[in-house]
Amino acid sequence: MGGPTVHPADEIIRLRRCINDLVSVAALPAVWSGGNPSQIASTLPDVLLSMLDLDLVYVQLKDPIRDTPVEIVRVAQSRKLAVRPHEIAELLRQRLGPEVQQWAPLVWNPFGDGDISIVPFRLGLQDEVGIIVAGSQRPDFPEQTESLLLTVVANQAAIGLHEARLLGEQKRLTNELDQRVALRTKELRAAVDELQLRLSMLQTIPVAAWTVAPDGTPDMVNQSWFDYTGQTPEYVSSDPEAWMSTLHPEDRERASRVYWNGIRSGRGFTMEARFLRAQDKTYRWHLNRAVALRGPEGKILRFVGTSTDIEDLKQSQEDLQRAEEKTRLIIDTALDAVIATDSRGTITTWNKQAEIVFGWNYNEVIGEHMPDLIIPERHRMAHERGLRHFLNTGDGPILRRRIETTAVRRSGDEFPVELEVVPMKVGDEWAFSAFIRDVTEAKLAEKKLRESELALRQLTETIPEMLWSATPDGAIDYCNVRLLEYTGFSASEIIGSGWTRLLHPDDADQAARVWVSCVATGKPYRVEVRTFHASDRTYRWCVTSALPLLDQQGRILKWHGTVVDLHDWRLAQEELRTTQAKLAHMTRVMALGALTASIAHEVNQPLSGIITNSSTCLRMLSADPPNIDGARETVRRTLRDGNRASEVITRLRALFSKKDLATESVDLNEAAREVMALSSNRLQRDHVIIRTEFANGLPLVKGDRVQLQQVIQNFLQNALDAMSDVEDRPRQLLIRTERDKHDHVRLIVQDAGIGFGSQNPDRLFEAFYTTKNYGMGIGLSVSRSIIESHHGRIWADPNDGPGATFSFSVPQDPEGVTNVRGFDAPRTPCRNGVARNP
Amino acid sequence: MVERSLVSVVDDDESVRESLPDLLREFGYEAKAFSSAEEFLASEYIDQTKCLILDIAMRGMSGPDLQRELRRLRHQIPIVFITAHADESTRPRLLEHGAVECLSKPFSDAALLNALNSAFHVS
Repeated sequence: MGGPTVHPADEIIRLRRCINDLVSVAALPAVWSGGNPSQIASTLPDVLLSMLDLDLVYVQLKDPIRDTPVEIVRVAQSRKLAVRPHEIAELLRQRLGPEVQQWAPLVWNPFGDGDISIVPFRLGLQDEVGIIVAGSQRPDFPEQTESLLLTVVANQAAIGLHEARLLGEQKRLTNELDQRVALRTKELRAAVDELQLRLSMLQTIPVAAWTVAPDGTPDMVNQSWFDYTGQTPEYVSSDPEAWMSTLHPEDRERASRVYWNGIRSGRGFTMEARFLRAQDKTYRWHLNRAVALRGPEGKILRFVGTSTDIEDLKQSQEDLQRAEEKTRLIIDTALDAVIATDSRGTITTWNKQAEIVFGWNYNEVIGEHMPDLIIPERHRMAHERGLRHFLNTGDGPILRRRIETTAVRRSGDEFPVELEVVPMKVGDEWAFSAFIRDVTEAKLAEKKLRESELALRQLTETIPEMLWSATPDGAIDYCNVRLLEYTGFSASEIIGSGWTRLLHPDDADQAARVWVSCVATGKPYRVEVRTFHASDRTYRWCVTSALPLLDQQGRILKWHGTVVDLHDWRLAQEELRTTQAKLAHMTRVMALGALTASIAHEVNQPLSGIITNSSTCLRMLSADPPNIDGARETVRRTLRDGNRASEVITRLRALFSKKDLATESVDLNEAAREVMALSSNRLQRDHVIIRTEFANGLPLVKGDRVQLQQVIQNFLQNALDAMSDVEDRPRQLLIRTERDKHDHVRLIVQDAGIGFGSQNPDRLFEAFYTTKNYGMGIGLSVSRSIIESHHGRIWADPNDGPGATFSFSVPQDPEGVTNVRGFDAPRTPCRNGVARNP
Repeated sequence: MVERSLVSVVDDDESVRESLPDLLREFGYEAKAFSSAEEFLASEYIDQTKCLILDIAMRGMSGPDLQRELRRLRHQIPIVFITAHADESTRPRLLEHGAVECLSKPFSDAALLNALNSAFHVS
């Protein structure tokens, strides 16, 4: 203490004031109770300034939450400070350093000259609360009482601040809790509002929505459902399946099954079914979906579902599908293979025909790179180049027109195709449709046609026939090489009307007339003309004929003709006629063998009589006495038999003498009798009952007796052959002669043989035609030649009963006398009742 | 008067029927002529006939037919066939079947006499 002397009264007053101040200070905590640290911090300097003679008070309070401390500076009102309090605080911190304990007790006076004494007091044991700095210009500062007071104030402040801090913490916690509660309350309210919103949304969304309890009972059904179906909430909840009454009857069973399966399995369901729309009483397709709503443990709480009217969608989908189906069908039934690709060549369409043509199935090629599948490898580069060129320039020389190229099948075989590629702009992308036709067959057909044309040309040029054709107006327009070679003319010489120069001058005019007439009428052309033959420079007989080729209206399109050389044939025919005559003679010679037996018989009979009679005669004459009467009788019989033998020989000589048609008057009755006589042996042996009906007064005919007899013999022979196997009926034979019309005489031979069946009777007269197992089939042919050379007619008829009738008819001899001999013919060998007139 | 053996001639040829019996009588036989086999069978001369001169080819029953019929009736008559059909195969066959001889017309009186001698076993 060592200051100036102080008056005791003053001392007392000062002490009293000190005590008062202490009391005030002691009351401070009560004043501060409930306050916060900043309140305390702000009242603390005021209290110190009012109690002590201080120039400044600095309070620094550490904030337990924030790093920056609270600083308060108070300056005594009496002091004139040139600076602001926060500048003082700054100055203090700079001059005094961060450690309060090391602050010097004197610092410069921030308010004027000289220094100022400062005293720091810690608040709290370790200044963890803060510090108080008191400063005064008085040199005696701090006095003892001032230190005491400051210490007490500092303690009190530390306590108060500590309490205030505790209290503040409490308040802060309470506040925080309150705020949290308020926030939570607000959140809950918002959530409720949201839920409300959602619920009303669920109720009003334009889709029928519902929840179903795990047992399948409808739980919540929204308004849209009721509006749509016309059902009421009460109705829906009356039965688990009540809602199903809205289903189309046809869908009900299936829908019910799917519904319950989905509910019981817990998997929910998706199904389409028709619902009755109450508004217009129509059934419309709905898509119904339900999913299980599960709790935390996986237990099903509800099924949540919707029913969406998809009728319009479905309708348009069906329309689309139908349109697509139609397009697909059109493409699939197209005759061409249709392939579409995008701009990179990826296949997007591949129709049925493409499957057939290329051997790849739709599923195999979709998405594949088209050139790899159908373009032969050597063409792929060119294809890619062309494609790029088109995509870059829009120029595609092979596009939009039919081209012929080569494609490759799955098997690797290449084949010709007709191809048309059409580019299409789809959006910004190019796409290509290719229409491809397999022309293998067409190519083959074309080739065949070419070959056939070639073959035809070769045929017309190489066949050994002469061919020509002419235009409808008769002008020759084609002659084949054969014809040119034959005639030695050139085509240009014949073409048109030059053809007549091929013909013999005597025949040309007539042929030309016929040709003109045929061209005019369309009748077939046929002439026999002498045609020039180049190789031996002669004219040879040819038949030239032509037929018109007509169109459907009968108009002549063309004449096609041939020239046939008949020259040799004509010669051959004449030769044939000679041969036939020779053959006729040969036939007679062949008949000789058969006749020999009967000749021998006919001759041996009288010879036998002659010899026997002569022997008897000799014996009678040699007897003693000679039997003259007997001998005379035997000689008479000998003569008779000798005549008989002579007759036979005469006839045989006539029959076998070869001579040209000897025209004489012939009595057919007589001729027939002789033939019968010659055949009597056979007639007898075959047990044939022969009947003759020879007409009285039959006119004579003009002809060769032997030849006519040969015909009769042939008839007779055939008749006997036809009856040789007949056992079940009499072997009857009728020979009849009669007058025929046109001054002809007819002879018929009717048998009861096997006949000639269904054979054409005319064929019987063809040479080498025979129905017999033996024989040459030449007899009737020769007979016909004979009768025809007699200007007569020969024919055969089947009988009404069994057998056949052969007839010939020849002209009568105009000069011939009527045969009046009737039956007074010379005796013939036809005895023993074989031949009898009725 | 010596009883003469009967030789019957069966032939459908009239000249044979007229000439042959006279010659047979000249040979010393009794002779009868028949125009067919049927006529001979129907006659009363079968049993008396000691030799038969028989034509082969006749209308109706033929010579061989008659031969078979006589054998069936147990008539042992020697037969000399005569025929106008000169067929070389005919004769051996007929001889094989028991004929005495087969003569082709025309035949000589000597040939006929030889045949008759054979039939009557005259050496």
